[in-house]
Amino acid sequence: MKNPVMAASGTFGYGTEFDSYLDLSEIGGFVTKGLSLRPRRGNAPPRTCETACGMLNAIGLANVGVEAFLEEKLPALRDKDTKVVANVFGESQDEYVAVARRLNGARGLHAIELNLSCPNTERGGMAFGTSPPVIREVVQAVRRAAPDLPLIVKLTPNITDIAEAARAARDGGADILSLVNTFLGMAIDLESRRPVLDNVVGGLSGPAIKPLALYMVHRVFKEVDLPIIGMGGISTTKDALEFMVAGSTAVQIGTANFVEPAAPIIVARGVRDWCRERGVAAVRDVIGTLRLPQGPERGAVAG
Amino acid sequence: MTLEAPGIARAARPGQFVMLQVHDGRDPLLRRPMSVCRVPGAARRRVQILYKVVGEGTRLLSRQRVGGRLAALGPLGYGFRQPARRRGAAQAQVLLVAGGVGIAIFPFLADALHRRGVRPVLLYGARTARDLVALEMFRSRGLAVRLATEDGSRGARGFVTALLDPLLRGDGPRPEIYACGPTSMLRAVGALAVQTGTPCQLALESQMPCGIGVCLGCVVACPGDAAGPVYRRVCTEGPVFEAKTVRV
Repeated sequence: MKNPVMAASGTFGYGTEFDSYLDLSEIGGFVTKGLSLRPRRGNAPPRTCETACGMLNAIGLANVGVEAFLEEKLPALRDKDTKVVANVFGESQDEYVAVARRLNGARGLHAIELNLSCPNTERGGMAFGTSPPVIREVVQAVRRAAPDLPLIVKLTPNITDIAEAARAARDGGADILSLVNTFLGMAIDLESRRPVLDNVVGGLSGPAIKPLALYMVHRVFKEVDLPIIGMGGISTTKDALEFMVAGSTAVQIGTANFVEPAAPIIVARGVRDWCRERGVAAVRDVIGTLRLPQGPERGAVAG
Repeated sequence: MTLEAPGIARAARPGQFVMLQVHDGRDPLLRRPMSVCRVPGAARRRVQILYKVVGEGTRLLSRQRVGGRLAALGPLGYGFRQPARRRGAAQAQVLLVAGGVGIAIFPFLADALHRRGVRPVLLYGARTARDLVALEMFRSRGLAVRLATEDGSRGARGFVTALLDPLLRGDGPRPEIYACGPTSMLRAVGALAVQTGTPCQLALESQMPCGIGVCLGCVVACPGDAAGPVYRRVCTEGPVFEAKTVRV
């Protein structure tokens, strides 16, 4: 990648939607809207709700389907000088495998990002990413189905210990981890006493989740030896650099793209300029440079 | 509020909108979709928006000072389809139906229709007399204005649909309807139009995080098939829809 700043899945369409707002060749790469085997229409509205310093969404994984992506979206991206990552999800392990197999070898595609936040309909609707054994199994299966593409596994934060999920993904054969996806949340309309989202529950994103996500990156960086793509509420250069200090090799900008479509470029330039001003020779020199306090191990929360 | 925005002003068409930053902070986070209310003057350098303070976003917007800078993205979406010209026949009556802050979309359209020599009738409903705005502006463009308020403090008591209903029941030529307002009003207007076979365009409002078609948050349900409704984005496939094509 030419720089460590990417645009996150679900906030960047299939890339070309942003042609009038930024030059894709100026960002490190982007991740497509999550792709399923067949097109999906998504949830009934209301699908989004603004919350303090963030927003909830329950889009319902609406997407054009992997075939339409390959036929209609990917060709337009081949002459763009940027890394194209296809986000993949399924409601069953078989669907994950089928989508990944279809993408393997596609010209112009640089990697797969596995979305593990999807409900597993074969196992009572629990998200794949909440069970380490299931993570390992689905990552392994996708690894075999798409042997030619780097495999990024995107972890859900809705789990007791994200380091366990990270280890499971590594053991299954992940090349890179991306974290984190949105946090489950809800909003209530007091007058009607109804949930604001038709889906009741949604994923929280935006600056509101930044400290939560930053801690998870820090934790996984200490525990698992795989490159990390950090995300969660990044909207400024400073946010991006903090995620890199915590251990991210690259970062993804998500919700900020809704507020400022040129956000990935603004942050990419900002990171470059910051390094120049500080005399940092290469941006990779920032990765994992957190200076922890000396003395006994910290981490327990005493309140 | 008037924005110095030549690029938007030159390109804007009635019914389109802008995504407007309301402050420099992060809470609230998202920009607000605002109808282009007017593009005043021949030079087309400025865009006016009309808003009512209803929440934190519009409250912050109201605290902006003259000379301040706000980011605005636009013009966005598809605007209104202009009324059909009927060769040799009388121009169909054009009805503008507005409810509450939905009025904000109509001055720009009224200007465009005025230039074409079309004289629409404005049916305008609001909660109380105090919520009715821009009346002189419409009258000065030759519009006949009929009012309704929920409390009866001005015009007919009740909803604006009570003004619309009798105009669609006659045997004469069908009028053309342009409507913007709260969802309940659009639903009622759309249903009346479909029942009576009247051409009708609805300008929808929605929770709209991005405005450029990527977040898929602002969708409206549209008639689909056995598998259920299909969803269309209000931002890039609207905000104006033919009444018969949406289920508001």
